[in-house]
Amino acid sequence: MIPDFDQQGAAETKQWVPEVSAPAILLENVSKSYGRIFALSNITLALNGGVTGVLGMNGAGKSTLFNLLMGKLKPSQGSIKLFGTDPWKNPAPYARVGFVPEHEKMYDWMTGYGFVSTFARLNGLTRDEASVEANRVLEFVGLTDVAYKKIGQYSKGMRQRAKIAHALVNDPELIILDEPLQGCDPLARTTIMNLIRELGRMGRTVLVSSHILQEIERITEQIVILHQGRLLALGNLHSIRERLDKIPHRISIQAENPKELAKDVIDIDEVYGVSFPDGKNISIQTHNLGAIHSQLPRIIVDNNHKVSTIDNPDDDLASILGYLTSGGGM
Amino acid sequence: MATKPDTIYRAFDRKASAIVEFTLRQYRTKTSTWVVLGVGFTALALIFLIYIDVMGSEFESVDNDGDSTDYDNDGYPKGQELRLGTDPWDSESHPGLFDTPIEPDPISMYINEDGFDWDINSKIGSQTTGIDDDGDCLNSNKTDSQKDTNDNGVPCDIIVEYFRSSDGNIYTYVYADSGVDEDPDEDAYSREAIHMAFVLSIGKLGFVLLLGIFLPLFMATGLIRDEMSSGTMHFMLAKPIARSEVFLYRTLGYLGIVWPYVIVLGILGALVSGFAGSGDAFFRFADLGVWLAIIFATMMATLVYGMLFNALGVFWKYGIILAIPFAAWELGMALLSMGAPDAMLLRFSVIGWALMIVDAAAMLVWPNLDLFIVMGQWGGGGQGSGWDFDSSLEGSGPLDFFSSKPGLGLSAFTAMIVATLVMLFQAAILWFIGGAIFKGKEIQ
Repeated sequence: MIPDFDQQGAAETKQWVPEVSAPAILLENVSKSYGRIFALSNITLALNGGVTGVLGMNGAGKSTLFNLLMGKLKPSQGSIKLFGTDPWKNPAPYARVGFVPEHEKMYDWMTGYGFVSTFARLNGLTRDEASVEANRVLEFVGLTDVAYKKIGQYSKGMRQRAKIAHALVNDPELIILDEPLQGCDPLARTTIMNLIRELGRMGRTVLVSSHILQEIERITEQIVILHQGRLLALGNLHSIRERLDKIPHRISIQAENPKELAKDVIDIDEVYGVSFPDGKNISIQTHNLGAIHSQLPRIIVDNNHKVSTIDNPDDDLASILGYLTSGGGM
Repeated sequence: MATKPDTIYRAFDRKASAIVEFTLRQYRTKTSTWVVLGVGFTALALIFLIYIDVMGSEFESVDNDGDSTDYDNDGYPKGQELRLGTDPWDSESHPGLFDTPIEPDPISMYINEDGFDWDINSKIGSQTTGIDDDGDCLNSNKTDSQKDTNDNGVPCDIIVEYFRSSDGNIYTYVYADSGVDEDPDEDAYSREAIHMAFVLSIGKLGFVLLLGIFLPLFMATGLIRDEMSSGTMHFMLAKPIARSEVFLYRTLGYLGIVWPYVIVLGILGALVSGFAGSGDAFFRFADLGVWLAIIFATMMATLVYGMLFNALGVFWKYGIILAIPFAAWELGMALLSMGAPDAMLLRFSVIGWALMIVDAAAMLVWPNLDLFIVMGQWGGGGQGSGWDFDSSLEGSGPLDFFSSKPGLGLSAFTAMIVATLVMLFQAAILWFIGGAIFKGKEIQ
């Protein structure tokens, strides 16, 4: 500790915090293989602070990565450190970690409160402390009303929030959420996404996985993209997006009068093609998605078009992955 | 942000109580728990019903020395004629022809008229005992050598000789003078022997073996495995807690339901056998010591097997299949311990040690148990019957089978301590092994 030369009066007793400098997550050349199949290959990654989205298709290695971080799997190669400690050998860092597993199965016979408070005690809290903390986090995730109902009676969104509450009960510095939005209805999604953003604002390091780009986009800009066990991209989603906007895109619009709409749309400079896949839809081809999206609403409103859906079939993880793997990568 | 401790080796009591409490509540929600506990209760209740039925029935009185029979059809039983000096095989010679004729005695007077009067302890060496209650040995018509057929210079006594052979086994010989203690009360003996045999058999087979193996087989094998299979283990392992801790606390939670269950069943057994058992006393308080040992031995067995089967569950998804050979081995060892309590193989079992605790307690509570067995197998010596006649009394066989010496040549008290320590050691080793397997296990 650096001496305080400006100190006046009695010295203040400070508690020693172990390994302050160690990042929350540090992976060096980590691989995990099953026989000759690599679930993860040569991942190097350091994360400290902020919300990071882990994107990847099913089977890309997201859950393997999280299970390695949570000490459930042993890396085949490389080293993993949580706050400077290897989680496979020592579960001590979990005092500072909250984990929301992907598994759907929960203890349906427990109440939300029972679930959260019981597992809080595994952090070394007394019964009373655990009760206080459980009520705090249940309020944070908005489950206070149903805290004493059985988890078996919860909706999917409530179950996910109960899992999040259980992970937050030790006031963790690092929160890892494996597919927290999977299977939730839109309202629950919004609630959970707000929760995750709130955690980021509170200064926690948050790692959240998903296979849906739009979900991650609404939560954070900082992303990690995994593809077939490899770390494909790491960085700001917007910078990836901007490049993506320059590649050909389709926008599909369902309108009452597609032909009329096509006439107006073709006037936009960035549109280089319009087609009619069927009677109800038109499909617009463009190199600049952003420009279209800024002009399209005005054209629709000005010309009084009746539009039911606007869809970007290419604006998803698959097309980003296609772009990144086809040599356009960073 | 609050400072988080950098070690998991703290707050053991809080983590333990949380997992134990959790495990107990989880058991409560499982149907299988109630089925297993219910089946165990029903099985034991049936055996107790059989016991009560046996205890309520009469054991037929047998005239072991044949002196109630009127061989010459003169209306006087042989015993009466011998006592009064007439010829029991001559119808022309009977007490009715005396100057003052004597009426024939009722036949019942000559049944069970000379019971056991053994006032000795079971110790190495030769002892004499026995009283000729009916006077057929001390009869004045007999010569001195006829009164001392065992040839020890004392008329009308029994020599009981305890003899330790070179192989360490103890053999007992009974040499009785003819007509001493030769017509015992079957009902009294058999009732007592069957009561003891019952307490030992239900204790050893019903409690230590059946409950001791089947409760952990169905309740401990899934303690960790079920959670691993369903994925809920992720919740527990995401906390700062060592896996071997989880292993131990889950096992403690299992004991939290199994031990009270064993204690309650044991107390029920003690009450049933205490009230329904043989003897004049209202309640057989002495037997409580044996029941206490049965409860304790069963608790130790469920502890060791709980650790073992829990570890097997962690080791393999179908750990219950691995548990079955162990259960079969232990069943064999249980039977071996009844026949050969000193067998070396028993030391490689759990049940051998658990049964040692019961045997030691029986030895403490019933110090003359082996003498009692010897007495029943001698059964009066079968005088008045053929040479190859098995004179043993009903109940002495089962009692001999179900009771054993604690083995290892230890005193009862030492044997109990040693067996307890060995079983605690076994449990600790299995915890260590189970924890190590769990720690090395990758969980998807």
